[in-house]
Amino acid sequence: MSNQTAALPIASVVLRILVILNLVWGVCIFALLCGTVFAHEWTLTALGITSNHPIRGILLGLQAIAALGLVVIVFNAMILKRLIAMVGTVRDGDPFVAANAYRLHAIAWIMVGMQLLSIVIAAIGKAISTPEQPIHLEAGFSTTSWVAILLTFILARVFAEGTIMRADLRGTV
Amino acid sequence: MGIAVRLDDLLHERRMTLTELASEVDITLANLSILKTGKARAIRFSTLEAICRALDCQPGDLLRFDTVS
Repeated sequence: MSNQTAALPIASVVLRILVILNLVWGVCIFALLCGTVFAHEWTLTALGITSNHPIRGILLGLQAIAALGLVVIVFNAMILKRLIAMVGTVRDGDPFVAANAYRLHAIAWIMVGMQLLSIVIAAIGKAISTPEQPIHLEAGFSTTSWVAILLTFILARVFAEGTIMRADLRGTV
Repeated sequence: MGIAVRLDDLLHERRMTLTELASEVDITLANLSILKTGKARAIRFSTLEAICRALDCQPGDLLRFDTVS
């Protein structure tokens, strides 16, 4: 089997695994968030956080980050759903369809949303970080991510133009 | 208004079937059928040349600007 033919089933399997991992991750964050809100003391004790632990002072900020993390999980699911659909069109032998152009365009906008959320999460992290309880988050402005967003917008446009050209060719004798 | 394809008339004049033309010009029967029924959106010069050669006609004999339909 060549690399090109193997890439498609591999991508399909990897995307499905990522959907499951994303869901598991989302459930964990949701459970932790609910625990800290509705069973405050029990959850903190279970996590080994004592009553004089410095993390208690920044708990509200951490809850806000977790809530935004849940939104990111939803965004991830939206992107993965569209990617799976796109891989499906490649498998069916008809990837240059208008639906894929719309999907890519939607993915680009979701990525914009994720980047903005990442900046907000980083700002919250910086605001609640103290010398006693430093917060290190892999969030914030990322040049690479914005370049990827730009690339996705361009790719969506290329797909849209390609679809129109293909439709023209379809009626050419 | 539009471009009318007179392939049916030319074939009738030459006592030729679409299948015979398809085998002679090396274009699929399906594509020739699309052309004949006026469903084609564009025609390649190579297709036009092959049909004109096979039917011994000019492009103007095959295509006509119809102001009515």
